[in-house]
Amino acid sequence: MKRSSAEIVREYGPFPGVEQVGGVSFDGQCVWFAAGDTLQAMDPVSGKTVQSIDVPAHAGTAFDGQYLYQLADERIRKVDPKTGQVLATIPGPPGGGSGLAWAEGSLWVGQYRNRKIHQIDAETGAILRTIECSRFVTGVTWVDGELWHGTWEGDESDVRHIDPQTGEVLERLEMPPGTGVSGLESNGSDQFFCGGGGSGKIRAIRRPKRV
Amino acid sequence: MDSLITAAARALAAGDPLCALNWVALREDAPALALRGIAMAQLGELDRARVLVRRAARAFGPKEAVARAKCIVAETEIALASRDLSWPAAPLDAARVTLEQHGDRLNAAHARYLEIRRLLLIGHLDEAEFTLAEFDPDLFPPALRTAHELVVAGIAIRRLHAKTALAALARAQQVAHRAAIPALTAEVENVSRTLNAPAARLLANGKERMLRLEDVEALQTSNAFLVDACSHAVRDEHNAVSLAKRPVLFVLVRALGEAWPADVPRDTLIAVAFRAKFIDESHRARLRVEIGRLRKALRALAKITATRRGFSLLPHDKRLVMVLKRPVDERYGAVLALLADGQSWSSSSLALALGASQRTVQRALDTLAANGKVQSLGHGRARRWMTPPIPGFTTALLLPTPLPGD
Repeated sequence: MKRSSAEIVREYGPFPGVEQVGGVSFDGQCVWFAAGDTLQAMDPVSGKTVQSIDVPAHAGTAFDGQYLYQLADERIRKVDPKTGQVLATIPGPPGGGSGLAWAEGSLWVGQYRNRKIHQIDAETGAILRTIECSRFVTGVTWVDGELWHGTWEGDESDVRHIDPQTGEVLERLEMPPGTGVSGLESNGSDQFFCGGGGSGKIRAIRRPKRV
Repeated sequence: MDSLITAAARALAAGDPLCALNWVALREDAPALALRGIAMAQLGELDRARVLVRRAARAFGPKEAVARAKCIVAETEIALASRDLSWPAAPLDAARVTLEQHGDRLNAAHARYLEIRRLLLIGHLDEAEFTLAEFDPDLFPPALRTAHELVVAGIAIRRLHAKTALAALARAQQVAHRAAIPALTAEVENVSRTLNAPAARLLANGKERMLRLEDVEALQTSNAFLVDACSHAVRDEHNAVSLAKRPVLFVLVRALGEAWPADVPRDTLIAVAFRAKFIDESHRARLRVEIGRLRKALRALAKITATRRGFSLLPHDKRLVMVLKRPVDERYGAVLALLADGQSWSSSSLALALGASQRTVQRALDTLAANGKVQSLGHGRARRWMTPPIPGFTTALLLPTPLPGD
């Protein structure tokens, strides 16, 4: 396993009226983040919020290329980012969840204190598979076939690359003390966006280069 | 971070504990236990709440120091609300330091306020005031500011500083409104009501009238000779003599004060002071002794002259004599008078001061407690008694949500 310190490229926020940043997602242009009662879109170039959708947004956020998925209590709402309409409500895994990612036709739900990541059917919510993790799981994201998730236990937080089959940790990017990762999403290439929980911030960190 | 925990925490913050329980009722992990505890506290199930919060504190891992510290603060607040003030100070203080070290200024302040509220409730007014002076309430959110103003008001009421108390309550009303926590608003209103209710009766020039706390305060600076039956003291603007621990002397001076400018016959004084049915020479001798003691005690304030049939009061500089009494004459007035000093008393020290048996005092306290006239803190030997009204903080739990990383 490789260990290194996370390199914070940029900090966004805090945003007006937002006390907590939960899940984060990226639609290719905007970073969407869960802000409690709203799902907000931020332009990563200007750092300004450009859109806000009224939907319960307590935890993870995901984007499947067309629609957003937002986790709140035990439900996942499928939201059209263009109209703000809720198109469907999918049952989440029992006990709720923390992180949410979309990849390979499935939704991936991280469970914080259960230290698990579930692969669930994006239509029915049925649990297809469960990956056991060694730490409290916050955000979950897939990039270039790599499964990454955030962890947060007390003061310690990191972003780790795990083997989706075995759950083995392959790589860890350690966040500076007191910098928590509540949500995680890659920008599809060289960066991750990390929700900062109660700090109300979003941080962009560098994804290690592949040789 | 965790969708159910977040949903439950939001429900709690919005004052909906039942909705919060719906999300976490069956979960046994640390944050769920903590939230269940806080929901139980909001529902008034304080014993259950304390067990849950304590379990949560144990269940949080060693790396979750802040969450654990918040649990300790919550447990202390529950103890305060259930009037168990015998908690050890060390864990709360350690929790406060942890919170400060992690930059959680608000919850650290909250922990400090719990300590101040305890000091107020157990009658350590100076210490409470001293600690309170560290804070600038303007830096806090409305709920904490309300708590601050309630403590200021509580100290002022205990000290009979009506103007200070009224000003603090007015500020409390404003900020409580902004906090939008119904229990907190009710608490402030409750205190305002007590402050506007008659606090005492004043007998002067043969006439009696009701006084509010601010009138009582104004009396402290009058140049009259005041026999204060609320605190069992005698005073003018220069001198004050407490007779709280000498009830017989107080009964005598009160009788003399109420009769002033007339004198009081010996037999009447003997009857009120010694509760004697048949008066003999030994009572007269005892009266002479007690009057002698009273003369000595009041030397700076007044003379007591013997008349043909008894004694009369003669304040220095021919001052007007006034008697301040409780709004309603109480049975067990002597017990109440001792407690009126705002300090907390054990029943054994009350018995000692009153020259009564422990059993008698205990009976009086039980009756007074049943009527809401006194309240007790602690259990067993540590049990202490005191009088309301001061802000009691019975309902307004401002418990921090003990989530990691929030």
